[in-house]
Amino acid sequence: MSASIDDPSVFAARAAVHREPRLAALLNMARVALGAIAQRTVFAAAGLILPALVILLWWTAAAHRSVPEQLLPAPMLVWQTLHELWASGDLRSHLAFSASRVAWSLLIGGSAGLLLGFGMGLSRTLRAYLYPSFNVVAQFPVLGWVPLLIIFAGIDEALKISAISIAVVVPVTINTLKGIANIPRPLLEVSRVYRFSPLQVLWRVVLPAAATSLFTGLRQAVMQAWLSLVFVELLASSEGIGYLIVWGRQLSQPDLVVAGMVVIGAVGVLLDLALRWLASRLQGWRRGAF
Amino acid sequence: MQRRTLAAVFSALMLIGLASLPAVSAEDKPTVIRISFPGAGTGGRPLSGGSFPSNAHLFKEIDDEFKADGIKIEWKFFPGAGPALNESYANGLTDVAFGHGDLPLIVGRATGLKHKIVLSSSRFGNSYFVVPAGSTAKTVADLKGKRLATFKGTAGQLTLYRWLDKFGFSDKDFRIISLDNDSTKAALATNDIDGTNITPFDLQARGIAKSILEVRDDPKITRPGTVWVGEEFEAKYPQIVQRIVTRLVKVAYWSTQEANREKEFQAWATSGSQAYIDYKKDWDSVPDLRTRINPLLDEYYVASLKSSIEETKKFKLIRKDVSIDGWIEPKYLNQALKELKLEDYWPQYDADGKVKTAARSKLAAN
Repeated sequence: MSASIDDPSVFAARAAVHREPRLAALLNMARVALGAIAQRTVFAAAGLILPALVILLWWTAAAHRSVPEQLLPAPMLVWQTLHELWASGDLRSHLAFSASRVAWSLLIGGSAGLLLGFGMGLSRTLRAYLYPSFNVVAQFPVLGWVPLLIIFAGIDEALKISAISIAVVVPVTINTLKGIANIPRPLLEVSRVYRFSPLQVLWRVVLPAAATSLFTGLRQAVMQAWLSLVFVELLASSEGIGYLIVWGRQLSQPDLVVAGMVVIGAVGVLLDLALRWLASRLQGWRRGAF
Repeated sequence: MQRRTLAAVFSALMLIGLASLPAVSAEDKPTVIRISFPGAGTGGRPLSGGSFPSNAHLFKEIDDEFKADGIKIEWKFFPGAGPALNESYANGLTDVAFGHGDLPLIVGRATGLKHKIVLSSSRFGNSYFVVPAGSTAKTVADLKGKRLATFKGTAGQLTLYRWLDKFGFSDKDFRIISLDNDSTKAALATNDIDGTNITPFDLQARGIAKSILEVRDDPKITRPGTVWVGEEFEAKYPQIVQRIVTRLVKVAYWSTQEANREKEFQAWATSGSQAYIDYKKDWDSVPDLRTRINPLLDEYYVASLKSSIEETKKFKLIRKDVSIDGWIEPKYLNQALKELKLEDYWPQYDADGKVKTAARSKLAAN
């Protein structure tokens, strides 16, 4: 093994060199830290320039009526609408409907995806039988499924949940499969040396090693579910965030449409952040497992 | 000197006059008139049926009117119905609407769309409560908590709400989803909805659905349709508007002739949104076609518009108040009636929808 930065011998040597001008070193560290903070701020600010410009453009376009107000609402009106929707409890009830649809689909589609992924990942035979068909089916977008699903599932909840479930199955299966396929062979060989039972192999080797990939699959699945949800709710609904958007359009209330879009975006970002946080927590568990 | 100045002024005036002459005639005549219907035939077919303005399109009356002037008529049909017509007008893509239901008309005005109501496109009409063929429901009450369909944002939504109101229910007692005409028929066939308002005769004949309740020409359940002209277009081309309105009244007159009943039903059925049998049976209860084919902006029209505004507010479908001041512009209609000597041809109704001034006898017509 070569020396690395956390090798104690290297550290000791560096500490010795810097012992004399301690103050200078401290100042230097402070400068580096400040520099890092400044750089981060600049980075964050750079990311805000585009949205700020877009909002500014939107604001001026709305203020000058360059786009008719029936088509482009003023930003303040959208804000006000969001506020009213929240205050009246409408937003929460629509969100609850949408969230329950996503949750059911994640449960159904996610379990199916995990089963398929583990099955094909662990059994060569199953993979030989199923993978080519799965690969073909995975190419259809959810949009393409909807007309067929309407015939079999009608236009009610069954349609919504089955369409979203299909959107969920694909990323979960593919990432589970990839995670298992990418487990380093030596790990499995070691487990064989230790004479692990199949359950132990699964619990102590496969799951920890594939965890990152599994989580990527889950994150993709949640995002897919959320995006497809909005699409299926545009069809024949009487509740949900997607419905709110259609309703806003039917009543020529574009502020309602934009408010719905803002909510969808915000929930999407929140979901992604939450899952990333959860994933980073699980990384700790993964390290402990080795 | 003085003579010269005078001559100069005179010739300058002549020049201005000459220069402005073509400009004036250009103002008088648009190159194209964009006329929109709040709907389309089945599968988006560019056809419309069920009203005398549909006849104006189907029998090429408006095209003929402006052919000699070289003015092109651009017909537009929106599968998205009344709400889509509002979007088109907001985008500056429509000059005249040949029919608009009360709800989208009011919603449009509430969002600041500016138009002038020039005549009415239709009134009354039967309304049916229809359930899938296999349904056991006998009354609206049997469907409580079930799924009803209407095309939200169109006049149909208010009609359904009035039905529910009539039987002591509110929209909250049902799950009301939004479907267009084609999808509603498909959903009845697959039992995906439990009830809707639709003309049932063709569906009944095909064993898809059945009507459980029927309301005939109730002035409180349905509301008149509206023909409007964009404010800018009206201000710019008043003569053109007059010609459109006069021609429409002429078509309305033709459409009320008993001899043309079959002809127009057959023409309407080409749009496919309703079958011939639907028109035939739906209009069987109308011995005098003038009952439903009536372009007047009478007391009933105005009162209906006012109550529709109240209902729209009650159901929280608009957020800004709507005033009818300066909205209705009857001068074109009055001029047309005078010109065609049809002032007493149509019956006038009072605010409650009862005949106030009876129509002149048909025999006296022309």
